[in-house]
Amino acid sequence: MGALSIRNVKKSFGNTHILKGIDLEIEKGQFLILVGPSGCGKSTLLNMIAGLDDITSGEIAIGDRVVNKLSPKDRDIAMVFQSYALYPNMTVRKNIAFGLDIRKVPKPEQEEIIARVAKTLQIEHLLDRKPLQLSGGQRQRVAMGRALARNPTLFLFDEPLSNLDAKLRVEMRSEIKLLHQRLGTTIVYVTHDQIEAMTLGDRIAVMKDGEVRQFGSPQQIYDAPADLYVAGFIGSPSMNFIPVQLREEDGHAVVDLDNGRAVQAVKLSPISDSQRAFVGKQVVLGIRPEQLTDPESAHSERGNLQTLQATVAITEPTGPDTLVTVTFNGIKTVARCHPRAAGAPGQQVELTLDPTKALLFDPVSEKRLA
Amino acid sequence: MADYPQSLQAKLIRFGIYAVLVLMALWYLAPLYVMLSTSFKTLDEIRAGNLLSLPGTFSLDAWSAAWSSACTGVECGGMKRYFANSLTMMIPAVLISTLVGAFNGYILSMWRFKGSDMFFMALLIGTFLPFQVVILPMAQVLGWLELENSTGRLVLVHVIYGLQFTTLFFRNYYVTVPGELVKAARIDGAGFFRIFFKILLPISVPTIMVCLIWQTTQIWNDYLFGVVFSSGEGQPMTVALNNLVNTSTGVKQYNVDMAAAIIAALPTLLVYMVGGKYFVRGLTAGAVKG
Repeated sequence: MGALSIRNVKKSFGNTHILKGIDLEIEKGQFLILVGPSGCGKSTLLNMIAGLDDITSGEIAIGDRVVNKLSPKDRDIAMVFQSYALYPNMTVRKNIAFGLDIRKVPKPEQEEIIARVAKTLQIEHLLDRKPLQLSGGQRQRVAMGRALARNPTLFLFDEPLSNLDAKLRVEMRSEIKLLHQRLGTTIVYVTHDQIEAMTLGDRIAVMKDGEVRQFGSPQQIYDAPADLYVAGFIGSPSMNFIPVQLREEDGHAVVDLDNGRAVQAVKLSPISDSQRAFVGKQVVLGIRPEQLTDPESAHSERGNLQTLQATVAITEPTGPDTLVTVTFNGIKTVARCHPRAAGAPGQQVELTLDPTKALLFDPVSEKRLA
Repeated sequence: MADYPQSLQAKLIRFGIYAVLVLMALWYLAPLYVMLSTSFKTLDEIRAGNLLSLPGTFSLDAWSAAWSSACTGVECGGMKRYFANSLTMMIPAVLISTLVGAFNGYILSMWRFKGSDMFFMALLIGTFLPFQVVILPMAQVLGWLELENSTGRLVLVHVIYGLQFTTLFFRNYYVTVPGELVKAARIDGAGFFRIFFKILLPISVPTIMVCLIWQTTQIWNDYLFGVVFSSGEGQPMTVALNNLVNTSTGVKQYNVDMAAAIIAALPTLLVYMVGGKYFVRGLTAGAVKG
């Protein structure tokens, strides 16, 4: 029995189906990320776990308790909100103590908890201030402090970093990760930011249109996305999708890439049964930008690297790498190159492709051809 | 303020603007001046005929008469009883309508139910209803309730008639308060009433002030409900003032009438002086951040 089990949970308003049967399960101490575009139902799911929204059908269990009918306060959870939702009329101390007061925690114990939480989050000097007197980052800390004070079995985070500026967001992100490692609590964290999802999560559920498209570890989701949506959503810059015709040669999948001057055959991994069914048909070749790079940066220990010629259309230096846009089969394709090997617009460059990492997708069902 | 060298023309224009403003102010203050000066005059002096002259002998007789001995119809106890009537009617009516309005606003914004928007629309229509339309059905309802006490009747009438306004004020304020505040409180374990009293009400001070001022003015100044739904000794100040001024026996005591009218206007004047800045602030209150 996991720390949180979500079994075939659905949510509908009349004929509008917000969630179409969600199944998720995580172990104690895991960090679950619900990620997806706005309107995918991730916040609704979080609210249902919290007990703020009703469950139309299905079952949610925290620990071994089914909580469908329990009110939020009886679920042993704490939640951090995007707008922080600090009580504006109370000082930081009172904000943290509010939930403890209601639960009739004795005063001396409250003081102890507040002191401990304030120390953990370094907000000791802010305890007597009102929320309006705090900066965004400080409010975020206080909101987390309020959640920590309760010491619940499950923490819920609803896009807690979206209102912070970019620098602070990265700082708070690593603090949340550190906090999780230190306290070992179970966390469900909603975000639309795929980088937050990758960096924080033990388990990621990529959601779209009320469904979980893929549920797995960050690396699984990155390396073996279930479909075109997940492949495109996770990773920045996102994966290149090139329409190709699939052939088979010597037991390997082979595709042709046209750079505008010549057609180059690319030999991929040994062909699988599901791929063989598509021989002679159109498929989508998925390549992440870092798997298409200059020969110098390519991982030379791997054999079987494929070399490709291409014409540079745009270069975008990011500092450590330069993103080079080239064209294959009429599709703009981004390669991540060493700045020195990036070339200039109009120039011919040589790129290498790691065929073991290249993915093939069914263009109709959008599923990956494993 | 630094003095910038100005052309003669600019100075003239400036002088003209101030002259017009001063004239306007005097024009609007003139009735108040006439009331005040008349209230301090003796009857003889009033009969002498100069409306705008300052009182020759500064007499408080009219004020004390208005307060404690002037006759309204056959009664000669002055305004003090009716002043007290108005206070005992106004204070509960204002407090109850404000509190219930806040509660309604809280439910209509934070705990929406099926049809809550319809309900709110219906309430809104109430704000457009003129007093006169309400009188007959209200009289019927008061009859059914067998409520005899004038003050009690007026409190009920004013609470009911004021609710749509106070509900509107609070609802419009609470929709600007992030709903996550209520969610956070629910997870903290706070219930329906605790969230209202501990979190929302304390941050509503500007709106509370708006309601207090609005309702105080409305209820204190009301004449129509007062004259229809109260009787005899239970009448509010406004009705008594009318009776006083319209008493047709004996000599017309303008100085007493004026003093009584000023006494009748004092409470609302006071409320505006104390709470005026909140009124503007509350009406323009935006979202509460954090």
